[in-house]
Amino acid sequence: MNEITSAIQLIPLQHYIILSVTLFSIGMMGVLFRRNIIAILMCLELMFNSANLLLAAFSAYHSDPSGQVFVFFIMIVAAAEVAVGLSIVVMMKRNVESVDINLLNRLKW
Amino acid sequence: MVEQIPNINLAWLVPAFPLLGFLVTGLANRKLKHNQAGIIASAMVLLSFLVSVVLFFILRASGQNEATVTLFNWISISGMNIPFALLIDHLSLTMMLIVTGVGALIHIYSIGYMHDDERVNSFFAQMNLFTFSMLLLVMGANYLVLFIGWEGVGLCSYLLIGFWFKNPEYNYAARKAFVMNRIGDLGFILGIILLFFTFKTVTFSEIFVQASGFQVGAPVITLITILLLVGAVGKSAQIPLFTWLPDAMAGPTPVSALIHAATMVTAGIYMIARSSILYNLAPLTLNIIIVIGLATAIIAALIGLKQNDIKKVLAYSTVSQLGYMFLALGLGAYSAGVFHVTTHSFFKALLFLGAGSVIHAMGGEQDIRKMGGLRKKMPLTYFTFLAATLAISGIPPFSGFFSKDLILSKAFEHSIILYILALGGALITCFYMFRLLYLVFFGEQRLAGAHPHEAPKVMTIPLIILSVLSVFGGFLNIPSLFNGDSEFITFLQTAVVSKASEELSHSTEIGLILGSLLLLGLVIFLAYRTFVSKSIIPAKDGEPMPFFSKLIANRFYIDEMYTTVFEKPFGYLSDFFYNKVENSLLDPVVDEIGFTTSRVGTLLRKLQQGNMSFYLFAMVAGILLFIIFILIV
Amino acid sequence: MIVLVILLIPFITGLLLLLIRNAATIKLMALASAIVNLAATLSLAFSTQASSSYSVSWINFLDINFALGYDGTSLIMLSLTSLLFPFIIMAGMKREQEHPGLLYALILFTQSALIGVFLAQNAFLFYIFWELTLIPLYFILLLWGGEGRRNITFKFFIYTLTGSLFLLFGIIYLYSLTPGLHTTDFSVFSQLNIPANTQVWLFWVLFIAFAIKMPVFPFHTWQPSTYTMAPTQGVMILAGVMTKMGIYGALRFLFPIIPAGVLYWQNTVIILSLIGVIYASVIAFRQTNLKTLIAFSSMAHISLMVAAMFVLNYYALQGLLFQVLSHGITIVALFYVVMLIEEKTGTLELPKMGGIKLLAPYMAILFLLIVLGSVALPLTAGFVGEFLIITGLFQQSIWFALFGGFTMVLGAIYMLYAYQRVMLGEKRPDLENITDLKRIDYIVLIPLITLILVLGIYPQPVFNLVETSVNTMQNLLVPVADVLPSLPL
Repeated sequence: MNEITSAIQLIPLQHYIILSVTLFSIGMMGVLFRRNIIAILMCLELMFNSANLLLAAFSAYHSDPSGQVFVFFIMIVAAAEVAVGLSIVVMMKRNVESVDINLLNRLKW
Repeated sequence: MVEQIPNINLAWLVPAFPLLGFLVTGLANRKLKHNQAGIIASAMVLLSFLVSVVLFFILRASGQNEATVTLFNWISISGMNIPFALLIDHLSLTMMLIVTGVGALIHIYSIGYMHDDERVNSFFAQMNLFTFSMLLLVMGANYLVLFIGWEGVGLCSYLLIGFWFKNPEYNYAARKAFVMNRIGDLGFILGIILLFFTFKTVTFSEIFVQASGFQVGAPVITLITILLLVGAVGKSAQIPLFTWLPDAMAGPTPVSALIHAATMVTAGIYMIARSSILYNLAPLTLNIIIVIGLATAIIAALIGLKQNDIKKVLAYSTVSQLGYMFLALGLGAYSAGVFHVTTHSFFKALLFLGAGSVIHAMGGEQDIRKMGGLRKKMPLTYFTFLAATLAISGIPPFSGFFSKDLILSKAFEHSIILYILALGGALITCFYMFRLLYLVFFGEQRLAGAHPHEAPKVMTIPLIILSVLSVFGGFLNIPSLFNGDSEFITFLQTAVVSKASEELSHSTEIGLILGSLLLLGLVIFLAYRTFVSKSIIPAKDGEPMPFFSKLIANRFYIDEMYTTVFEKPFGYLSDFFYNKVENSLLDPVVDEIGFTTSRVGTLLRKLQQGNMSFYLFAMVAGILLFIIFILIV
Repeated sequence: MIVLVILLIPFITGLLLLLIRNAATIKLMALASAIVNLAATLSLAFSTQASSSYSVSWINFLDINFALGYDGTSLIMLSLTSLLFPFIIMAGMKREQEHPGLLYALILFTQSALIGVFLAQNAFLFYIFWELTLIPLYFILLLWGGEGRRNITFKFFIYTLTGSLFLLFGIIYLYSLTPGLHTTDFSVFSQLNIPANTQVWLFWVLFIAFAIKMPVFPFHTWQPSTYTMAPTQGVMILAGVMTKMGIYGALRFLFPIIPAGVLYWQNTVIILSLIGVIYASVIAFRQTNLKTLIAFSSMAHISLMVAAMFVLNYYALQGLLFQVLSHGITIVALFYVVMLIEEKTGTLELPKMGGIKLLAPYMAILFLLIVLGSVALPLTAGFVGEFLIITGLFQQSIWFALFGGFTMVLGAIYMLYAYQRVMLGEKRPDLENITDLKRIDYIVLIPLITLILVLGIYPQPVFNLVETSVNTMQNLLVPVADVLPSLPL
């Protein structure tokens, strides 16, 4: 365990932060601008994982394992969410023959 | 406390009989066979008359001047106690005897006159209701009970004027009468309320006792008397509220006789005479009454000159005679006014019933231009009508002479100009009455196909009785000039306080009487020349005539003026309120508030397009803004 | 305890009615409940015992009790409600109606809520019942109404609800002013001694709800269309009782709690009401729809009562409470006749009527009697009320009395006009098959007309009933009269 922690600490913390911010921003942009719902879901995952990365990095630097436990929680929740999300995508594909998010405007009334 | 007069409580029977008659004939409307309703109704009024006579003797025997009979407490709250009470004194007895006496004769006459009408039972029910109201009016011991009768007669006149309700014009006339009366009544009720606040009571006797504490010309008394006067002007058809009375001739002729000549319209005179103590304190009001009375007397008489409907002529003559009564009141000679009420009720009832007889005989025709020559066909009607005409013209020794002469001499005492104007009115009255008489009864019969015939006995007997009264009624009050002692006036003195005035010397009076008789004779001769010798028939409607005649024939365009000035603007105002204010201002404002809310909603709804990427964008933007906000603050 | 019974009888009967299918049974049961209620209320009115009341704690942490009680004013309102509902229910008897179970249940629910308003002893309870009256009535109007009911009912509902919102705000504000553990009891409210400047604006917050309900010019615009569209029984409730609820609310809230505010706005409100009197009367004259005409006439009469209320002297208050009773009876009778006319002719448009008296003379006579009651002819109840009201107005100012008195003249103009257009004139060929009154019509109309006449001839019992509360109320404004000059006028 110590090796992993020290391995993580080989790279300065700023780099992790920069990387996760970049990943988060890419994900966010993807969510905002992509129309394909699968791509959006993938981008959501990307944002999750950027947060995970940061959690792991801080956990190592602070020598507090609860951060890494959180990462596992998040991964499980994300898996469950993807399961639901993808099934919605499948239903959508069946119903409207498309995965374009702009066709899903029935929420407005 | 005055000791109770035995048997005076019988007084409640007087109004009770007609009320009973009303209920019986009204409720059993469908069950009564023909004539039954009429007989019941007449009997009830006759019974009232008998009770009134009995009361008269009871009061005389007791030696007291008045008695109050309290039936129950009507409105009794703290500070306001209004009993439902009847007052028996000389004034109310006089009026009771007139109302029930003349009323009974007219009821009997109506049995014959209304014989063929399908709603004869309703007719008698309403006549009885009218008699009841009128009796309440004259017997009420306070202003509010008087007001019950006051409004009651207004209602009955509404019902009876519009008796033949199929005709929209009659209905209009009925409504007009009611509304004009109501305008007067508004003034009257305000007067009563002011009386109440001034004296803390509305009972006559209590008010009159307290009134002595006020100075002559006290503003509050003047205001009260003016407000009461408004009521009297409405009810007694004086200028400016007189136009309803001629229109009221839409009702059956006995109605015109009973309501619009002998009784109801005299209510205003009665009320002012009753309040004589108050009016004596308000010289300003008395002067107004003089002006109103004289103007009405002359204008109505002028209009009467050119009317061609037999009932319209009589209607305007009623208005004009009421003007004389008002003149008497204004001069402070209240008893003289009441005396004229009495004689007038005899001869005017007779005139109307005679006219009814004529109309009956002519098969419903009322235009005097189409009559003529009825003297031979209907001698009885002719003679009674002649008696009444002589009486109204003021020819001695007929009743009208005594009462009118009394008023004229009072006018002379007041001022010579008043006397001349009043005498002028009397001469005009004489002229149009003889014009009527000559056109109807003299000359040749002008309506082809009519078979005039004398009326049945049930109609002629009242005529005869009334003509006897018209001829001799004046002897009730023989002035000192003819060695009488003015009994009627003396009789009333206990109830009515006339203004003291200097007596004219006998020589002046004789001079005045002779002068006026000469003029009257001249006028009668003139009328005879015009309508009998030259047999001039008044122009047909629409034929051109001189300006002044046209003005008179069209009743000075007063009706038209009222229509233009009041009725139409009222309609416009109603439309304006409804279309412009209600539907274009108030309601839209309320609606607009609602619409604005929903419009804002529509606007905001645009944000909710259902576009997911927009939602996400909004979410991100929101978070960012929030972070920035936190960072800055 | 008996007050609770009065409140619950209609409610429980209403619930039971929902289970019954047979229309005749439903109506009879509703009628029976209303009559039992009337008997119970009259026993209250004429009992010599101390006033009955009922109270259980309800919402403890707010210190709000479910407290019922009454005084002379409430008793008049209760009597009116209990008196009118049997007739309102009878107005539907022997007539085909859709879903009678639901209709009569709603009618009884309305009655229960109205009784609750008049019995409530604290503002919270008052407000709950106040709003509760609206819900069953809303459905009565919406489901059984006439043309355009959807929009009109919506407007009516929103309008009155908006007013109530202000009232709620006012109540909460007053609640926050109460000392110590807060409470909404009227008795505590009336001893708050709110600063005069606050009272001046608080007046409108509280008044607006009542002004809309009564309605006072210019808050009346919901009324004509609602009355015109409403089913007969709905409009009877509206005109007969609901308008009085506004008056009752004003008497409960304004005079004891914010007397200085009332005194400050007194003349404004009186003038508004008198404008309402003239305005409504003038408009009524040109209406072609009989129901709209009567709606405006009712507004004129109510406006006069509001003027009387704000004059707040002894005669005006006696007249007001008397007129509450007399107007309720008269207007219900009027709307009953209007219903008969509509049934027989199939229209409410005056120009399409005429000559009905020839075919239905008895209906014409009864209609005329009611009309006369409405135009305040002496010896009808209307006269006693209006006479006292005008007397009260006169005490304040002769001009108030004059303009108030115009109802007498204007009322005669439009009511007789309506009567003439409906009943008089020649027979119309399209109205040949009109029949006269049936027995049920007599059963409804004769007692109402008898009441109108009896109250006009012998009004004393009513005066005695309200004497005490009138005496209390008339003195409410006296102590604050000195505070006023300091206000910015």
